[in-house]
Amino acid sequence: MKITSILVVDDDENDQFICEYTIRKFDPSIRVVKAFDGTEALDALRAGTPDAIILDINMPVMNGFEFLDRYAQEFEVHAPVVAMLTSSHLGKDRERAMRYSFVKSYFEKPLQADHLRVMTDLLEA
Amino acid sequence: MVALWLAEPAGLAARHPFLFGMKFNAALAFVVVGAALLLATRGLRRLPALMLLPVFLYGALALSQHLFGIDAGIDTLLDRPFVDIGTSRPGRIAPNTALCFMLVSLALFLRAVRQRGDIAQVALGFTTFIVAAAALVGYAIGLEFAHDWVRFTRMSFQSASCFAALGLVLVFAGPQATGYYRLTLAGVLGLATYLLLLAMTYYELERYEASFGITFSGDGPNARATLSSLVLISGLLYGALVAHLYVSPRRARRMALDLAESRARLAAIIDNAVDGIVTIDERGIVLTVNAACTRIFGYADGEMIGRNVKMLMPEPYHGEHDRYLSSYRRTGEAKIIGIGREVEGRRKDGTTFPLELAVARLDVNGGTIYSGIVRDISGRKASEQALIETNAELEEFAYRTSHDLRSPIASSLGLLGISRDMLAEGDLAGLGQMLQRMERNFRRLDHLIQNILTVTRNRLMEEEDGPIDLRRLVGEAADALSHLDDVRRIRIENHVPPELTIVSKPSKFQVIVGNMLSNAVKYHDPKEAEPRIDIRAFRHAGKLRLTVEDNGLGIPPASRHLLFQMFKRLHPNRSFGSGLGLYILKKTAQSLGGTAFYEARDKGSRFIIELPDGE
Repeated sequence: MKITSILVVDDDENDQFICEYTIRKFDPSIRVVKAFDGTEALDALRAGTPDAIILDINMPVMNGFEFLDRYAQEFEVHAPVVAMLTSSHLGKDRERAMRYSFVKSYFEKPLQADHLRVMTDLLEA
Repeated sequence: MVALWLAEPAGLAARHPFLFGMKFNAALAFVVVGAALLLATRGLRRLPALMLLPVFLYGALALSQHLFGIDAGIDTLLDRPFVDIGTSRPGRIAPNTALCFMLVSLALFLRAVRQRGDIAQVALGFTTFIVAAAALVGYAIGLEFAHDWVRFTRMSFQSASCFAALGLVLVFAGPQATGYYRLTLAGVLGLATYLLLLAMTYYELERYEASFGITFSGDGPNARATLSSLVLISGLLYGALVAHLYVSPRRARRMALDLAESRARLAAIIDNAVDGIVTIDERGIVLTVNAACTRIFGYADGEMIGRNVKMLMPEPYHGEHDRYLSSYRRTGEAKIIGIGREVEGRRKDGTTFPLELAVARLDVNGGTIYSGIVRDISGRKASEQALIETNAELEEFAYRTSHDLRSPIASSLGLLGISRDMLAEGDLAGLGQMLQRMERNFRRLDHLIQNILTVTRNRLMEEEDGPIDLRRLVGEAADALSHLDDVRRIRIENHVPPELTIVSKPSKFQVIVGNMLSNAVKYHDPKEAEPRIDIRAFRHAGKLRLTVEDNGLGIPPASRHLLFQMFKRLHPNRSFGSGLGLYILKKTAQSLGGTAFYEARDKGSRFIIELPDGE
């Protein structure tokens, strides 16, 4: 099964650009939705559930963890693959993120084609 | 006696000659001596001294009559005795009486002149006493020589009594000045009298031997030798006793002094202890408190002693303490006794504070008491708390720095990969865009590092106070912002009065003003037709207030609690901030002894700095 849509949640415009470019190059048919912080992401999710979410941790207004809490509480249906993408390589953050059942992987920036391949495998599994 | 002599009752004298043992002259001299003594005691000097002079002369003349066998005519000068008892010549006093008159009058003369006792008076009184006492004892034991130094003229019983009394007065009234103990003096007096009597007895024994032509001594055991050794032994014993009398009060006094000193030392230690020391009885009633207790709790010691110690405790200890004590008495299970722990104390003004308490149980003669050592640890607690906060802040700082330093680099690495693709495809326009993005990343990184340096410098930098021209400083800070995007669109108004100068740390103040202005510029509202920033400064209630107002984006109410925290960025889509700006602002203001706060406006923000006014 192929990924058809991905929500990218990141406040950094450069990182958004890199994600979009990498995804397009990986598979131009994937639809990319952008959100610049947790609240925007929740709004987008209310409109529909994508196949995958790529989530940064460090964001203003509502950070990645606050978003995960709200997403766990307020939504019954979750995206099949939620992947963290962050520049933090601290084990503490990784453990905390992996505690959410729908968080499947933890990548370090920048996003690469390999990361997308892992996500595709997870979706097929 | 004088009256008796003048009345001349011949019948009485025949029946009781003993009554007339004291001569008229002697009686008169005693009257004078007694009067002089009384006057001297009243504080008079010259009069008693003048009165004593004839007494002394009389004594000296009387004695010289005996010594040189002359008759100076003083015996019957004032009264011709109608009867003569115990004298060789009518009216003549005994040599020992004459001697005593000399001694006593001399001693009292000194007393009158000096108005206090001294060693000479004690010595004179001492001699008088032993001569008189020997005479008295002589009467009691029939030792004639004791009162009868020359044949037929003896010291009368009455005179001996008077002299003994006067001697005692001289020795004991006012010996404080000489530093002798009464008991020791009394012992020495007794010993001296005893020795004198011994000598006299021996002398009398020899006289008897001579007059009767017999000898008690000879070969083999004899009474005289036995008597001598017995007398010697008893003298030694008596001497030892007196020596003991001399030593023992000294030792007792030294011990008492030592005890008092060690007590005083202990009391001083307890009273000067930094920690409070309080003792209570088994029911919790305060027995003693030291000075530190009054300092720690704010009560005077009288307000604590006799009351229940729970007055020094807030709830729940206050309500539970009686139960603690009775339960400990019943079960012996200690919660705090012998252990010590941190509890809360309550001061007189009702405030509570953290307290380190160590309680010890003391079993003393009368029962059990508890001593508590209390230490006010609010200072330590506060610094502990500050340390914990600083540590948490540093940890957060390290975490966020490592993350935020890496972000732009990770992003640039991604962009580099994309650039390589574009180069391979010959997409030069796209490549140019990539370079621009990378440049923005590096600028961000540079900005972050600058901010980190500012934080560190703020922590470490020591700076001298100096005068600051506030209006000029604000103007310079505004000029320094000209590189920022859109700054030309914004109207920056400097309302600071030109005459306003303050004394503070110039470079820290620069950090504050620069920070406030750059925030106002960065978070202006691009949709606003007339974006503006107003800077004001004024003195208010002994403080200097600096406000920066804008009509920019403002802070959403939900995020306001995060203001001034480290690495908090509150504006979406505007990621160029390091998240350190307001944190630096707050810390810098604090390091100048001031505060930073935020006020919301209908549109935009007002940031305020309040600093102590160093004019």
